[in-house]
Amino acid sequence: MVSAPVKSGREGKERAKGCVNTEQAVSHTILAPRQIAMQLCALMIGAGLLGLTFWLHTGARAVPGLIRDLQGQDLQTLMLATQWLSELGEDARPAVPLLVDQALRHQNWNARVSAAAALRMLDLQAARRVMEGSLLGLSDPDAEVRRHTCALLGSLGLLAKPAVPRLIGTLADEDDLSRERAIDALGAIGVPRTDVSTALTTALFDRAPRVRHRAVSLFAFVVPIPNTALTPLSNLQKDPDKSIASLAQIALDRGGGVHHADVQTLVARLQRGDDREDALQRLAKLGPAAAEAVPAITPLLNDRLPLHRYLAAETLASIGPSAAKALPVLRQAIGDQDSIVREAVADALRSIEAAEAVTERMP
Amino acid sequence: MSGTLLHPRLARTTVILYWTCIGLGLAIPWIAVILVDFFKHHQSIAQALYQWRLHLFAPGHNLFLVGLLNAVPFVLLAFFLLLHLGLTSSQSLSLARRRMMGAATAAAGAIGLSAWVHITTLWFPDAQGALVYMFLPIGLTGFLPVGYAVGRGLGRLLER
Repeated sequence: MVSAPVKSGREGKERAKGCVNTEQAVSHTILAPRQIAMQLCALMIGAGLLGLTFWLHTGARAVPGLIRDLQGQDLQTLMLATQWLSELGEDARPAVPLLVDQALRHQNWNARVSAAAALRMLDLQAARRVMEGSLLGLSDPDAEVRRHTCALLGSLGLLAKPAVPRLIGTLADEDDLSRERAIDALGAIGVPRTDVSTALTTALFDRAPRVRHRAVSLFAFVVPIPNTALTPLSNLQKDPDKSIASLAQIALDRGGGVHHADVQTLVARLQRGDDREDALQRLAKLGPAAAEAVPAITPLLNDRLPLHRYLAAETLASIGPSAAKALPVLRQAIGDQDSIVREAVADALRSIEAAEAVTERMP
Repeated sequence: MSGTLLHPRLARTTVILYWTCIGLGLAIPWIAVILVDFFKHHQSIAQALYQWRLHLFAPGHNLFLVGLLNAVPFVLLAFFLLLHLGLTSSQSLSLARRRMMGAATAAAGAIGLSAWVHITTLWFPDAQGALVYMFLPIGLTGFLPVGYAVGRGLGRLLER
């Protein structure tokens, strides 16, 4: 059926404006099939353009823009770019020199800490350079610098293991906040377990409540309690600071936070894949108590991310002789392309093989 | 008003509704971010626009993806609208009006609901707030047939 012929003057005007086209005039429907097809095509083109925009702004394509953001003056842009780069992995390697510079020299400490944390994901050697370059800050005359340096070292996690003796030295600092931050950093690093546990136990006697609070909360939720800490923790149940007393109670009730269920939860997090870093760090802090996690940790020695390979080797070293089942894979991993991983693997081999040799010599 | 005059108007309205649905579906989360920055955080429009651009593709924020996700039910509605209204016979204008009423009500309701949810999520931030961005498109898709039915019913009542 054809539409009625146009008669009125108003319609004539609309036709003159192009509002009524020939297609509509002869169409049986409100929109002609060709018009509908055109609108759908336009939608497809729009969707394609949006897809292209997204593609151009993500993955490796985003790196040049992020490098420009790192060189800018705006702190928020810089922090976002740093966080973004840390998630891009290998693609973000061109940004590593700038991130090292940011971690060591930026005037804002939050920017330094976020750069250090990002470097863990991108380049282990660069992260170690940052750790080495930051150590001087622990003996800076300015207490503010010492506090921030502790926070920066803590943000490197297990990678800052060589800084543990210097951090333990900071526990003699006259500044309460510096000691508290040092305890925080030691808790974040967590190994060598004996050194860290001894330092935390010493901190239970600290004169400043904030330092005692930090140490006891680590024993309550993160670090296994050594026997030497049992008596001080019992005494802290009578601490005048109620929060410290209740944390000491929690620590003693939980037996240092190491339950079979805790290890199983961490193993599940390892297998999920999106949360491996924290799970590995926590398992490393548990040491031999995490022995049942060895089968889940061993495959990570071949992980794509160097940080995961490094943490897997450190965790196996921390577990010790109970990780003997991982020896064949560890021996293969000694040829890892990353020197920091190789070093950790060699340490793990030494500690497990030495313990095994002692066991074999026993009658 | 004669049917021949209504025909091009309905065609034009259909196309306008189609693109409005798609455009607003995509832009509502972005407009909400800008408005909340302006009214709650007392930023200038220029600063709010800068913040929006900064967080458009940033991991953990990704406003671009939030916009795309929010647009899904609106694109479905636009698609339905184009076919359902566009293929209505030009001779049955009362049917076309009722359909238009249904589609417009569904669109207005979805736009209102989406805007309200996005603004309140940003205004009262919560650790679980991001879940809204996942569930809102599903909720909106469920709302569309209801909104359309209400609009159709309203159209019928108005005709009487």
